[in-house]
Amino acid sequence: MNHFETGVIDLAYLRDNGFLPSEERQRKGPVAVIECIQEIPCNPCVSACKFDAIGMDGINGIPHVDFAKCTGCMSCLKVCPGLAIFIQDKSKVKPSVTVPYEYLPLPVRGGTVTLLGRDGASLGSATVKFVLAADTMSRSSLIAVEFDDSTLCEQVRNIRVG
Amino acid sequence: MDDNRIATHPILTWDRGTPVRVTYDGRQITAYPRETVAMALYAAGVKQYSTSSRFYRPRGMFCAIGKCSSCMMRVDGIPNTRTCVLQVQDGMDVETQHGDGKFPDVQAAMKGVKEKNAEVLVVGGGPAGLEASLWAAKAGADVILLDQNPQLGGQLVKQTHKFFGSAKENAGTRGITIAKKLIEEVVATPSITVYSGFTAFGWFQGAVCAADQDHAVLFQPRKVIVATGAAEKMLMFRNNDMPGVFGAGAAQTLMNVYGIKPGNKVLMVGAGNVGLIVSYQLMQAGIEVVGVVEGAPRVGGYLVHASKIARNGVRIMTRHTVLEAVGSDHVEAAIVAEVDEKWQPIPGTEQRVECDTICLSAGLKPSTELLEQAKLDLAYTGELGGWVAKRNWAMRTSNPDIFAAGDASGVEEASTAMMEGKIAGLQAAYDLGHTDVPVEEQKETRYNLDDLRAGPFGAKICIGLKCVEVLE
Amino acid sequence: MTREDEKTIACRCEDISVQEIKDAIHEGYADLQSLKRYVKFGLGPCQGKTCILLAAQILAREMGQTLDQIMTPTTRPPVDPVPIGFFVKGKEADDEK
Repeated sequence: MNHFETGVIDLAYLRDNGFLPSEERQRKGPVAVIECIQEIPCNPCVSACKFDAIGMDGINGIPHVDFAKCTGCMSCLKVCPGLAIFIQDKSKVKPSVTVPYEYLPLPVRGGTVTLLGRDGASLGSATVKFVLAADTMSRSSLIAVEFDDSTLCEQVRNIRVG
Repeated sequence: MDDNRIATHPILTWDRGTPVRVTYDGRQITAYPRETVAMALYAAGVKQYSTSSRFYRPRGMFCAIGKCSSCMMRVDGIPNTRTCVLQVQDGMDVETQHGDGKFPDVQAAMKGVKEKNAEVLVVGGGPAGLEASLWAAKAGADVILLDQNPQLGGQLVKQTHKFFGSAKENAGTRGITIAKKLIEEVVATPSITVYSGFTAFGWFQGAVCAADQDHAVLFQPRKVIVATGAAEKMLMFRNNDMPGVFGAGAAQTLMNVYGIKPGNKVLMVGAGNVGLIVSYQLMQAGIEVVGVVEGAPRVGGYLVHASKIARNGVRIMTRHTVLEAVGSDHVEAAIVAEVDEKWQPIPGTEQRVECDTICLSAGLKPSTELLEQAKLDLAYTGELGGWVAKRNWAMRTSNPDIFAAGDASGVEEASTAMMEGKIAGLQAAYDLGHTDVPVEEQKETRYNLDDLRAGPFGAKICIGLKCVEVLE
Repeated sequence: MTREDEKTIACRCEDISVQEIKDAIHEGYADLQSLKRYVKFGLGPCQGKTCILLAAQILAREMGQTLDQIMTPTTRPPVDPVPIGFFVKGKEADDEK
């Protein structure tokens, strides 16, 4: 099944086309993963980045993260209209993923949530590391979840509260 | 009594005010002052508004934005009243309309038709019309802005998602925030006069006549900018007129403007951007989306929108179509089937999908009625949604006093509509000799507009524009 | 297996089914203007905002044409339903003008 048929982006495609940071980079600290693989007229992530880490060839270009420059600061996550940016972090004792979240109720820090993959299937449960509630109406809330299995970092893309 | 109003929402809040009393077929329902009649009824669980005139079929709303006739009822003794755009009033008496309307019980209190001169008349207060008004005024023109809805903003007021496009031009900002900003600016501009609730219903030899319930004005403009938007396209399947089958835009109006749940289990038909975005917004309002049906072999909208709903477990069924709405007086299920390469249903693949609402997002058709009456040169351009006016690069049509902008000039999206409105507004002002805004501003906007359209998604639009952007 | 029959509605205002439009085309009403006059779709309160395009699609399909070969029928005021009294009352003096 192709991602253009189901909406579920193919992990192998992301891996093979340089959309994912290396294991080594992920162990150094948080890093942004942009799952925006289609040429669409959109660029707010580029100017949101204070470290000039997002490259784009014209407004219809595909964003590419310079993983060496990216600090995982999450500025791009808040503005991305496609909610297509995530933070992966394998540098801590517990690996974590940060996802944009625009549903109610918001989870609470320390609470337990269900982890969901790109197809919405459950990947088990995890603890909420932090909740950054939207600071202005135009922003999305950001939820970080931590878990034990570091291979989940490439797979967790959503959460379900309860 | 049912109350389908949404209490909490991740993006929106609704200041509903103090309830007013409305009578519906002899019983009291609760309504709030900013609601229109159709919305208040829907919130109270009423889904059938009329019985059709020949086949006596139950009918509910379809477009919810004053384009179709599906919500017509008898209000305070007057038949054929479009209830989706008429605001409730305390003591209002609403009745289901059975077949053709009964003769009015009351004598209408309407005044005669007034005449008014206008330098620039803008028809339609959506993204294109608001920008056109603002920039024509900034350039120095006096503007009259007509809008048929109770509030300005067109369909921008229900776009709760963050906009795509250029960071320079509002990208990353939610449509509702952009709408608020534009409306405030228009209202604060002294050289713009707004007629809200006025429907422009006819072109009379250079004059445009518009009316609300009891006033009519014949505008004699020097320049007209038609930004009348677009209407949702209908699909042909059995029982496509059953209450519970409506446009995806109507679902957005219900939940995002009025805070009313369109249904509890929704089947979306069409995986273009509108279908995908509305599916996401339905889930944000706490509504289950049972699936997205798309006839094409792949998702038509942005993949990021599809991914957003896929990671919530929504099944996107490409190469599928809807064959039938099932139910007696309201949708209870849909029959969907797989289609072949020629979009023909494959026998044996039918399946029943339980749902109480079928949302159609089969694209939009430009609302060009006024342009047609003005006898402009139009061309059928499938890439732009239907028949659209030929024009030059600055949106001036084959009649030099008439401009078209936004979806009415070819269906695209709100960011491009705003830019077209700005270009048309400035050109109308320039043509009248007002030059308070330098022409470089207009040229740059056009440059940015072309830039937005330069990618693969804009390619289709550009093919369409080649057929209609042919005038000098 | 058909999606379209007498229970598939093309024009909500005048309650016209897709089948009625198809039948009329096969009777010989082969252009949109005469088809509209004969079947009466598009003549109700909304003035064809939904059905004209559907009828054009049906016509194109049945006749083996493309949509750009089909002429739009004439549209006339009022394009939106307004109280008929305005037409009866006529113009009124306005001192603001």
